[in-house]
Amino acid sequence: MLHIELIILHCLQSIKNERTIYSIFHLLKGKKSSQTIQDAHLFSLKPFFGILEPMTRELFDRKIAAMLQNNLIIDCGGQRFVPALLGESLLQNNRLPIFINGWDYHQITGPVWERLTLLVQVASHLEYGETNYIPIQKNQAVHSWVKTVIKVSNISKREMGRKLYNELTKCFCNADGINPSVIVFRLTGFQQIGLTAEQAAKKLDLEALDYHLQFTNTLHYMIQNIKDNNEQFPLLAYLIQGFTENEELTLSARKTWNLLLQGYSPEMIASLRRLRVSTIEDHLVEFALNINHFQIDEYVDNGLQSKILDTSRQQGTKQLKVIKDKVKNASYFQIRLVLAKYGEQSWN
Amino acid sequence: MELEDLLLKHFGFHSFKTGQKEVISSLLSGCHTLAMLPTGTGKSLCYQLPGYMLDGHVLIVSPLLSLMQDQVEQFKRFGEKRVVALNSFLTLEEKNQVLRHINEYKFIFISPEMLRVPYILGILGKLKLSMFVVDEAHCISQWGFDFRPDYSKLGEIRSALGNPLTLALTATATYQVREDIIQSLGLSNVTKVESSVDRPNIAICIEELADYHEKEARILDLVQQLEKPGVIYFTSKKAAEQMAALLVEKEICQAGYYHGGMDPSTRVLIQEQFIHNQLEVICATSAFGMGINKENIRFVIHYHMPMQIESYLQEIGRAGRDGNQSVAILLYSPGDELLPLQLAEGELPSEQQIDWLFASIAGEPRVLNEQLRLHKDLKEQGGFTDVQWRFIEGLIHQMHRTVPMQQMNKSVKEFVAGRLTTKKTNIFQLKQWLDSASCRREHLLNYFGEMLSDQVQPCCDRCGVQLNQFFKVSGHFKSKPSDVTWNQYLAKILINSGLSE
Ligand SMILES: [Zn+2]
Repeated sequence: MLHIELIILHCLQSIKNERTIYSIFHLLKGKKSSQTIQDAHLFSLKPFFGILEPMTRELFDRKIAAMLQNNLIIDCGGQRFVPALLGESLLQNNRLPIFINGWDYHQITGPVWERLTLLVQVASHLEYGETNYIPIQKNQAVHSWVKTVIKVSNISKREMGRKLYNELTKCFCNADGINPSVIVFRLTGFQQIGLTAEQAAKKLDLEALDYHLQFTNTLHYMIQNIKDNNEQFPLLAYLIQGFTENEELTLSARKTWNLLLQGYSPEMIASLRRLRVSTIEDHLVEFALNINHFQIDEYVDNGLQSKILDTSRQQGTKQLKVIKDKVKNASYFQIRLVLAKYGEQSWN
Repeated sequence: MELEDLLLKHFGFHSFKTGQKEVISSLLSGCHTLAMLPTGTGKSLCYQLPGYMLDGHVLIVSPLLSLMQDQVEQFKRFGEKRVVALNSFLTLEEKNQVLRHINEYKFIFISPEMLRVPYILGILGKLKLSMFVVDEAHCISQWGFDFRPDYSKLGEIRSALGNPLTLALTATATYQVREDIIQSLGLSNVTKVESSVDRPNIAICIEELADYHEKEARILDLVQQLEKPGVIYFTSKKAAEQMAALLVEKEICQAGYYHGGMDPSTRVLIQEQFIHNQLEVICATSAFGMGINKENIRFVIHYHMPMQIESYLQEIGRAGRDGNQSVAILLYSPGDELLPLQLAEGELPSEQQIDWLFASIAGEPRVLNEQLRLHKDLKEQGGFTDVQWRFIEGLIHQMHRTVPMQQMNKSVKEFVAGRLTTKKTNIFQLKQWLDSASCRREHLLNYFGEMLSDQVQPCCDRCGVQLNQFFKVSGHFKSKPSDVTWNQYLAKILINSGLSE
């Protein structure tokens, strides 16, 4: 299966030649910039946000070159590409990984994995009555998490292994299109060290990035399943507890948000924080995307808002320049702000 | 109570390893001690045991973060919970937490850069220290292969802490370096416990081959035949990866690679797979082996030449910890010394980088921030590697109170030039050893100021060694691991009796 290719094709189809190919690269890498965050919303690509963090620019370029050579995509110049006929038929005949949910889970994917691996290792050694071993996770936060789980779960040390086994197998059964091997062979237990990502990919005969994608898909499936059926997985439920959700704002944007709440204007915030006004404007766009109750009327009056939205709809575009040409008295910032606030609902 | 009884009580061992008892007795009689003990002799026991008998805290300075973590974990595994590591792994919050409760820790590991923070030094100064331990003490000496500017301040720090009882530990140091350690720490009346660097159960062989093609073929051949497990050392990460892939592809053995460029969790997995015999051969850079306890390594091969004799000895010393016969084989082809020479230059900042840095900070009256560190942006803008940066930052910190700003550029450059000369000399000495016609073992011992007293058998290629005595006993090759399903795998690790019941 051509997983990565399929996702790139899907993204290209969604952005309809309105962005360069690197907007997709940034999206898959999970770049925390207003532009990328906005793209994820505008083009409904949120599930793919940040799902390929290990990918390098070089690897991405190579992938695109190969897709071009295999007639999956067409080069439109200016770093823009669209799916070719072959690419479109590929999209029609293959399913995208269905559980992947980068937007909601990319920040907890790593921590959940660390927790799972350490929990399994600890449970396995409890089961075999061995106390002397090297923990495969060094992160102290994960260690204290495991200790807490053992304390509060009220499961006796002798039962821990079997309970975990039962929940894991239950979690994986009936999973459509999921191969639990991508996760399970990487787990470490008593006298059995788990495989590295590279070794697991090799064992399953997958390319490194495709393996990563399947791994993420499977982990996101687990997270969703645990979330939806909490009472069925009393032990696994701890894996996803204690993460604060909606940490979508960048750190810098959060500082701006706090100042905004104190009544400072964007210009004052810029001079206070020694940042450019355009940076603060990027933050406002982030708020428009992520904070439901954030009102933009202060920055764009109502008439101009409708004008921008109408033009976007009529012209069938989200390209700022095209809209700007039609609505001359709007600034680029105002157009971005309106598209961020209302763009998604007007399009879907 | 006899020392042996304490050993049994606290550690469950019946007897000391070479040198341990001498070091402990010396410390308990109140003497500063310099201990040169081969790696794998349980150095930490030398301060842990007296730590229990003396009143106060034990402060251990250690330059390698990963090693420090390992040691702390090891303490904890053996039931000592009053141990902590103060290093840059800690978040600010965790650091403050530790410092608030510093009194509760008997054993405090600390990195040298933490010690230069006056606030931290102040807190430590108020503690009653029973011992001041300097691990990897050769890092103090400019003559040493691993000089760290941070370490050269330890004498001053020790005196700021009220000159506590001191233990300096090293695995490999020449006579000159040992003298330097004593002088730099300001120790008088030192007991020296110096065990031999010789490892009689490791045969030493050097093979000269035409080029890297021949080397590669030779490695495939050797690994095929030699008794495993084994380690192959490389200077380049890429070469290590490629060789591991080749060994697997040719179905010669279960091989993996290990180097500093991998993420920490992957490194732990590879290391543990090797320890649990899931991997038979590791292709590694010098990053591999610190703090690893695997007793039955049967061979160490060097594909590239190390940077100095000290590293070579440390690396081959990972073989044969169980005392059984093992072999070290170094493959040399003409021109191999160019790679370490290049590397030596790359480890130090270039003249242009130094000029650039001083030009950039010339206008700034406060070059060093409150943590006494240079601004991080300068590192990126000047294109400094981590190693170069740590070096120059430590150096400027060391000089900034004694050398005026205008002269510092010149002083730094002179110092760097001096380091480069030392590194080149080290490489040259290793090359001399490779070229020498005399017994390999004798030459190595002479380098460390020792004489070869007993002839060992088998000794080295110069004395005559039959490599086939290290070959595995007839073809008992491991069959590939059988294919288990994910479900069986999970059951195996989580249910003791398997799924049979
Ligand atoms: Zn010899």
